[in-house]
Amino acid sequence: MIVTTQKPLDEILDFISPYKYILIAGCDGCTQPPRSIKEAETLSQLLELGGRQRNKEFTFKAITVVKQCDSYLTATALKPQLDDVEAVLSLACGLGPQTIAELFPDIPVFPAQNTHFIGMEEREAGTLEARCAACGDCLLALTGGICPVARCAKSLLNGPCGGSKNGKCEVDPDKDCAWMLIYERLKQQGKLDLLKEIRPPIDHQLSGWRVRP
Amino acid sequence: MASQEVPVWVGEVEEVIDEASGKVYLPPCQIACPLGEDIQRNNGMIALLPLDPGEASRQIIEIGDEIYEKNPLFPICSYICGLCEKDCNYKDQTGAVRRTLLLRFLAEYYLSYLKTKPPIAAPTREKVAVIGGGPGGLMCAYTLSKKGYQATILERNSELGGALRYIPQYRLPQNVIGTTLNNLLRIAHIEVNFGVSMGDGSKTLDNLKKDGYKAVFIATGTPIPRPLTIGKEQVTGADLAGVMFGLNLLYDTNQGKVSPQLFKGKRVIVVGGGNVAFDVARTARRVGGDVCLVCLECEDKSCKDGIPADLEEIEGGTEEGIKITYSRGVEEIIGEDGKFQKIKCPRCTSVFDESGFNPELDRSDVIYLEGDVLLVTIGQALERAFFQQEGLLDERGRLDIDPLTLMSNRQEGIFIGGDVRRVGFAAEAMRDGVVAAESMDRYLNGKDLKAGREKEYKAAAIPKRAHYKPQPELMWAPVEERLNIEPFEPFEKGFTLEEAAAEARRCLCCGPCVSCKACIALGLRHGSPKIEVDEDACVRCGNCAFYCPYEAVKLVYPGAASFDLVYCKGCGLCVAKCPAMALKLESWERERISALISKLSSEMEKPKILVFRCQWGVFPPLDGEFSKNIRAIDLPCAARVDILHILEAFQKGVDGVLIAACPEEDCKRERGSREAQRSVAALQERLGQIGFQERLHFCTVAPRCVEVFDKELAQFSQRIADVLAKEAT
Repeated sequence: MIVTTQKPLDEILDFISPYKYILIAGCDGCTQPPRSIKEAETLSQLLELGGRQRNKEFTFKAITVVKQCDSYLTATALKPQLDDVEAVLSLACGLGPQTIAELFPDIPVFPAQNTHFIGMEEREAGTLEARCAACGDCLLALTGGICPVARCAKSLLNGPCGGSKNGKCEVDPDKDCAWMLIYERLKQQGKLDLLKEIRPPIDHQLSGWRVRP
Repeated sequence: MASQEVPVWVGEVEEVIDEASGKVYLPPCQIACPLGEDIQRNNGMIALLPLDPGEASRQIIEIGDEIYEKNPLFPICSYICGLCEKDCNYKDQTGAVRRTLLLRFLAEYYLSYLKTKPPIAAPTREKVAVIGGGPGGLMCAYTLSKKGYQATILERNSELGGALRYIPQYRLPQNVIGTTLNNLLRIAHIEVNFGVSMGDGSKTLDNLKKDGYKAVFIATGTPIPRPLTIGKEQVTGADLAGVMFGLNLLYDTNQGKVSPQLFKGKRVIVVGGGNVAFDVARTARRVGGDVCLVCLECEDKSCKDGIPADLEEIEGGTEEGIKITYSRGVEEIIGEDGKFQKIKCPRCTSVFDESGFNPELDRSDVIYLEGDVLLVTIGQALERAFFQQEGLLDERGRLDIDPLTLMSNRQEGIFIGGDVRRVGFAAEAMRDGVVAAESMDRYLNGKDLKAGREKEYKAAAIPKRAHYKPQPELMWAPVEERLNIEPFEPFEKGFTLEEAAAEARRCLCCGPCVSCKACIALGLRHGSPKIEVDEDACVRCGNCAFYCPYEAVKLVYPGAASFDLVYCKGCGLCVAKCPAMALKLESWERERISALISKLSSEMEKPKILVFRCQWGVFPPLDGEFSKNIRAIDLPCAARVDILHILEAFQKGVDGVLIAACPEEDCKRERGSREAQRSVAALQERLGQIGFQERLHFCTVAPRCVEVFDKELAQFSQRIADVLAKEAT
């Protein structure tokens, strides 16, 4: 999933304070939990309360979009809602505001989320952790399904480094050493041989800025 | 939401069929109870007893009335039965919910009310006879009376109760039997003819037919004590002075015919390993004996040859100084000058084999146990002659009965059940009585005796829970008091109201809601849990399935979430966690709560405080100083707390919102309280970003803790008053 966190309400209030009629657009897509209609309504109520503290009155309309990164879906969902709307607040990842800005260049659009990484939820701990660095040259087949690019602090392809201590990473004692995890996993699978092969650096051209499907 | 106008006892329980297995789906306790008492429902109602003692006792009587419908002997069962506890899902966690003590708690209130309980409608139908006034016969007569038949019990003794009269009074007080049975006769219009024996030249079944009885239930029990045998032969020496049957000691003691010092200075040996043997041993101990018990079975209860008596009996007996000799048979009773002196006890190497009870003795390993009195308590048998005369036995001399209908295969209209059919617990005999009554009713109406009666059950699994509360210890009077001060008074301490409520609350409500409906009966919800899914709104995120503590939700792509309402207990956690607002929980729909928030907000004075609280908490009424500016909304669990409702309350002019959840260890759901706390904490953080954090407070209040709740309310009220004062300046 794409991992996002809510922007502080103060920051959002600063964005929207020049406007009165605001559309809050949720996104049913990739986050956990999805920033769907409930978050859109919650945010509208919080901003209304926050506006009251600033002696500012807003009128919000809360909707949700199946996937804001899809311009067709976003256009269909937003178009009928835009009468009188002076600004749009997007609950999607960084893609949402960009899609909307491109579709409706006359209307200012603001992000209500900070987008962090592609990650997973550690439900018991209640945290979200990075798992994929979108490097464009996936090597999970060689690393027992554990991504060193996303999970090693140095993104080493031939780890571990000397900073691995008791299975933890030197940058944070709470952080598992990705290469220790890889070693254990490969050992479990009887594939430790894979570690003997030296891997060349990632070809960053592959991640690039544009690819053909 | 609690609405007090809803009358109690709406919400008749319904049977649920488990779709996968086609079996009747119930909590294991209810399946274990031979009478199918609605144990989960009773527990729910006890846990939710009102705080006011007067109101509580009214509700207790109502619960009692409901149990009485199924089991008018429940005050007696509350002293001697515990079959449901053996199958309680909690047993493997921290110990079964103590249903027996809970039932006794209800019975203590109910017995004093019983005298004023109105009788049922007078019988209008045919005369039916019940031979034997023990638990089986009584239940049969009661059930027949309820169906409108004129039931007459023929009892050989001068009082009713059958085998109950053998149970020592320290376990079952005689006045409990007396009050229960006398009132049962009155309430159910049951006639009793005392001193009537069957067979042996006295009455026959033909006589009864001629007297106008259209059907007969025979529940004569097993009044004949079994003698000691070895192989097929009786053990020699049974006629020595000092050798007697334990059963006779029990009966005589209850009749007051035994001197309190009968066995003083005497060494008493009890033979037998069942609960009755322990009754005998502990009775002998109470009349001064130095008691030792010898049994074939071994000490390890978990193995096939383990001692059959209940652990409580073994522990209690040992505490009282009874010495137990395990794995020994009795080969010979040896005396001197016609007086009992000792028994010869070879080692028992195996009690049961594939054929059943078939003890094997190692005659090379023998000990002798010396004593003055030998009490033989190794089981009882029926009066075979009567059944023989009436032609009710098969070629091998066994009762020939259809096990489903309990009708004799030899004679139509004759039904047989209880211990006489198969020695068991009182409640099992009672079930036979109920089964026979149903058969007799069908028989007399010319209906199929068997149709629809064979049922299979599936026991509900244990719901997940974060904490399992410890089982309360049994409180027994000290041994000294038990043996010397009040030897025949019950020594087990019962529950107080608060103890009962706390213990009932341990119940995990394993069974399906529709076969419980305690919440509905108490007016806490309008119907059985019902979750509606708006399939268009559902975003297939799976949060509902993840959070559901009861595995009631399935998410199969590409479909929307679907609920199996048999498993759903309506806590509302899924609704609170649904990011798409696609779920609706009946009785706590968003619109309904919104309307309630508007209404409550408009009737409050400033500073307006709204409390969301768990219905399982049992709170005092918001009166006195709280009546003007505090209102509460009861939720099925704190899990249903919805951040949108909290925000809506602020929008509608509420000044402060207090969430009163149960502490995590008291929460009936696996993570209801914890998730509520998490959601509220996340909201609080965001409220903090706009200077509103003071207005929201999450607290935990243990159920029925009035002081804690009042204190939280007072503190929060003060805090909100301060916030408002500060804002005004």
